[in-house]
Amino acid sequence: MPNAELLTPGGIQELTAALQRATPSSRLLAGGTDLIRSMHQDHWEPDLLIDLSGVRELDYVTLEDGMLGVGSMTTFAELEADPLVRRHARCLAEAAAQVGSAQIRNVATVGGNIANASPCADTVTALVALGADVRTIDGGGAIATRPLTEITVGSGRTSLAPDEAITEVSFAALGADHRTTFAKIGSRSTVTVARLSMALVVKLDVAAGTVSGVRVALGAVGEAAFRDARLEELLEGRPANAESARLFAEGCTDAVQRAIPGRYSLPYKQHAVVGLAYDAWNALGLCERCEPAWG
Amino acid sequence: MRLLLNVNGMEHELDVRPTARLIDVLRLQLGLTGVKEGCSEGECGACTVIVDDKAVDSCLVLAVQARGKKVLTVEGLADDDGLDLLQRMFIEHGAVQCGFCTPGMLMSAKALLMADPHPTEEAIRLALAGNLCRCTGYTTIVAAVRSASEQPAESSSTPPALDGAGRDV
Repeated sequence: MPNAELLTPGGIQELTAALQRATPSSRLLAGGTDLIRSMHQDHWEPDLLIDLSGVRELDYVTLEDGMLGVGSMTTFAELEADPLVRRHARCLAEAAAQVGSAQIRNVATVGGNIANASPCADTVTALVALGADVRTIDGGGAIATRPLTEITVGSGRTSLAPDEAITEVSFAALGADHRTTFAKIGSRSTVTVARLSMALVVKLDVAAGTVSGVRVALGAVGEAAFRDARLEELLEGRPANAESARLFAEGCTDAVQRAIPGRYSLPYKQHAVVGLAYDAWNALGLCERCEPAWG
Repeated sequence: MRLLLNVNGMEHELDVRPTARLIDVLRLQLGLTGVKEGCSEGECGACTVIVDDKAVDSCLVLAVQARGKKVLTVEGLADDDGLDLLQRMFIEHGAVQCGFCTPGMLMSAKALLMADPHPTEEAIRLALAGNLCRCTGYTTIVAAVRSASEQPAESSSTPPALDGAGRDV
């Protein structure tokens, strides 16, 4: 096994210099919880490993002009505890809180979750619902911003160039008139990989008792987390009541069927998503708790 | 490559492979075999150590990622005055059977109590969710941590954790 060369940039300028040497066989090391396990268990090493842990300026959460900016090296534990994230992007705090164990949340990062491109990445599902953009820097120092959904193009595949590093994710901060949550189903209650996940964002018109601006992201359905426009339109302007919950759950089943037609997991996921939809709807606290009518 | 590592309060100057995991350096180069390797994939938590006050699976980080930080292993828990309170409570409650998971359990619990000296029982269970005990001794382990947390200490400013359903705990 060839020995990887390791670079440990201590800031953005040193990072761009390191990125200039990256090849398609090189890897960026963020928290490392997926990459190090993979290297150790599958007995491989990249030609070049660029450790981002010394680039401290990529670890932050800011709120400016109504936009929440999250540095790529922000850990899940930091996201979970951050007051700005809790207030303006609750679904992201909830998703971060449900990743792995405390040990993993202490080191795993939001940038790593995106670049690893697992279809069941919890924070990616939340960020897709939040309509996040991703900012990157490359070896030439060029800074670019594009929608998150253009980065995570498939299972384990991204549109990131070998010399391109994620520096920030950003999205519009949700106001007090918004409700948002994240829900997932795994094989156990904690320290579990999502078999199905959902992030839901709605704007509540208290006077009219209706919802609008509905954004729903589904994760672990197909190759990458996605939003479904037909599902979102279904709820637009609907009253915040039990009938809308039923419509939402039905719409989720249809969205899953559209996303993974013929997939072996479809019979399970099209039903499981009903329970998940009700969990998410109830967590928003829009109306009295409602339950699906199974059968 | 050359690496300066602070472990249990002592500075070590080491020559390490660039991709050596923290657990490898702790066990094989420093002889700290209280750090146990179970699953090698972040499921069992037997390798848990504390890095800058945070519990970390030492099988999932490289040694170089701990440069400039303070690493605490189970060997560093006791001091000249004897065992750490948590260790004494583990003994008192019989929270040890085969003992393989114990160092990891202790370090996860220590990190929790460093951040939140008086956690709720649910917070204790969440903090230990990444530590598996195959002798199924969880009840006594949680009781031991709770006993240790009932000692008077200053309150913490750490915000409450979110549980699996996103609720504050």
